[in-house]
Amino acid sequence: VTQVTKTRLLVLTTVALLLAPLLSIEPRTYLTLSVAGLAMGMLIFLVASGLTLIFGLMDVLNFAHGALFSWGAFVGFSIAVALDRRFQWATSGSVGANLLILLLALTATVLVTAALGLLLERVIVRPVYGQHLFQILITLGATIVLEELIRIVWGPNDQVMPVPVTLQGSWDVADVVVLRFPVVAIGLGLLVYAGMRLVLNRTRVGLIVRAGVENGEMVQVMGHNLSRYFTGVFAAGSGLAGVGGLMWAMFSQSVRPAMGGEQLVFAFIVVIIGGLGSVTGSLVGALLVGLSYNYVAFLLPKAAIGVNMALMVLILLLRPTGLFGAGK
Amino acid sequence: VTPSGPTPVQAAREAARRGRLRQPTAWFRLGILAAFALVPLVAPSFKVTDLALKIALFATLAASYDVVIGYTGIVSFGHAMYFGIGAYAVALALGKLGGVTYGHLGLGFLAGILVSAAVAALIGAFSLRVKALFFAMITLAFAEFALILAVQWTPLTGGEDGLSPRLPGVFAVSWAGGQFLGVPLGARSVTYYAVLAACLALFLVMSRFVHSPLGRTLQAIRDNELRAEALGYRTFVFQLAASSFGSVVATVVGGLYAVWVRYVNPESTLGVPIMLDVLLMVIIGGLGTLYGGIVGAAVLLGARTLLPDLRALGAAVAPGSEILQRLADRWLLYFGVLFILVVFFFPKGVLGTLREARSRPASEPARPPIRT
Repeated sequence: VTQVTKTRLLVLTTVALLLAPLLSIEPRTYLTLSVAGLAMGMLIFLVASGLTLIFGLMDVLNFAHGALFSWGAFVGFSIAVALDRRFQWATSGSVGANLLILLLALTATVLVTAALGLLLERVIVRPVYGQHLFQILITLGATIVLEELIRIVWGPNDQVMPVPVTLQGSWDVADVVVLRFPVVAIGLGLLVYAGMRLVLNRTRVGLIVRAGVENGEMVQVMGHNLSRYFTGVFAAGSGLAGVGGLMWAMFSQSVRPAMGGEQLVFAFIVVIIGGLGSVTGSLVGALLVGLSYNYVAFLLPKAAIGVNMALMVLILLLRPTGLFGAGK
Repeated sequence: VTPSGPTPVQAAREAARRGRLRQPTAWFRLGILAAFALVPLVAPSFKVTDLALKIALFATLAASYDVVIGYTGIVSFGHAMYFGIGAYAVALALGKLGGVTYGHLGLGFLAGILVSAAVAALIGAFSLRVKALFFAMITLAFAEFALILAVQWTPLTGGEDGLSPRLPGVFAVSWAGGQFLGVPLGARSVTYYAVLAACLALFLVMSRFVHSPLGRTLQAIRDNELRAEALGYRTFVFQLAASSFGSVVATVVGGLYAVWVRYVNPESTLGVPIMLDVLLMVIIGGLGTLYGGIVGAAVLLGARTLLPDLRALGAAVAPGSEILQRLADRWLLYFGVLFILVVFFFPKGVLGTLREARSRPASEPARPPIRT
């Protein structure tokens, strides 16, 4: 069996498995579930995209990613609350104001979490490159500190996230219920995906980073300050974690200090399913997780949470390097 | 050619065995054991006794994790799951699925051990061959799955509420009590000593395990897997044996925990926080030291019991200051900072650093023991 046939078989099996729920779900419900699944998958991709850079590409087991996710959610929450209290930008129905508040919150979130990521990389991650166990330990310590700081600044309780009115509710397209916010999330996810592909594959910076991952010494010999590039990648990944956190907070309409830890496992699963270092893999993995979660949640509600684990175990058994992994 | 006398290795071991009681560490260990044994006799409150036995239990659990992570170099995130399996097996055998007898108590332990061994062998069989990192993730996935199972399968596990097993005979709360060498004994004390003795036995078994030829091979695999393989060892089989052994010990500790606490719920026996606690204990004590678990458990559990009192202190020093109150509230923050510093400056943990200082003064800089 050649590699091509194998890949085709895998794709066919995946498609067949995704269509299989049609046997017991009526088509209209199936469509609604699929749209919800895609949206959820995109949200998960937003969370996992940063981890793809940090864990998948740079091979740093960053457990603090979840804490950065929470930080993103809380920073966005503060901006949104402040702006809404002063100008009613979220509660008013004006589309422009609604989008503006989203943009401002996103910008602030990215700036703060990227700065935190920069700090993390410089202070605690840099000395432990290449040592997985110590990466786990150090970033676990950082997680504790970052989460506790959230509790000190914003208090330990859950809070309600203001969601711009335009983004709430749903559209009814040919009897298929389409929630509005997930559509925005899908758009943002595609944007992030395209941006990452573009930067990594079509720019000089992306080339240097990818080369640095393969053979860091060689890249340094050629006169590039690799550690600066890596700091940049880490900061970018952290910023993406913040974006994921903010979007997730708007999706669930609440913020909690521990929200990042729960999403972290999801994100790791997605990155592993997709294959380390592959942005496309993460996207496909996230969509698979989102879709299968929604189908199973409809058919067997109790089995829904275990389905991601089952998916990961299954894929790793079939392809130990993940769906799009290069297999180092 | 058959050598007539003992080999140099055997001779060295024999010498070490004879000199064992002359080592200060041996007396130190006996002293710790004596301290644990004395606690219920002199402790002012149940809170202290409870803390002491939980330290003993978690020290044993941390040591069993140390066998896997420190001696064998396998990073597993599913160790708490085996602890939970043991706790649930004993609680179920004494409750819903069995009766309150000694036989069912033993059966509970046995069932837990069998289930754990089977699960550990299964997980290891298909995930130890792939990258070390994936083993960590797959064990994490299984642990998460076990947690969900315990929460969702309410008819059997009691869901979030958990189970409260009743204990047979001398362990039962209703036991009238008796006398031993003139000292009155209640059910609590009997349970305390029984669990402590079991912990001691587990420690001895683990010590025997890591110092056996098998244990030496494991350390060789940890230090250089390729070399061990080249020497003809089937590293996969050895790693499988080590992870299964550690899991089984963790299961027994879980059962003991259920016996002492008499309450089992998903959060306290299966959750990710338990896993993190155990990991932190091993790191604080020192990887590959076995007894480091005692230090780690004492530091972590002691801090958790005592540090919340900071809050009262903060309120006394500056009443009314909200930000100070919050700072005092968040003792975990200081713990996190301390933890980062420990990992940076004492990567070998308390016991590892002490051992190194004793054996090789001012030698090479400390290196992390594992690279995955």
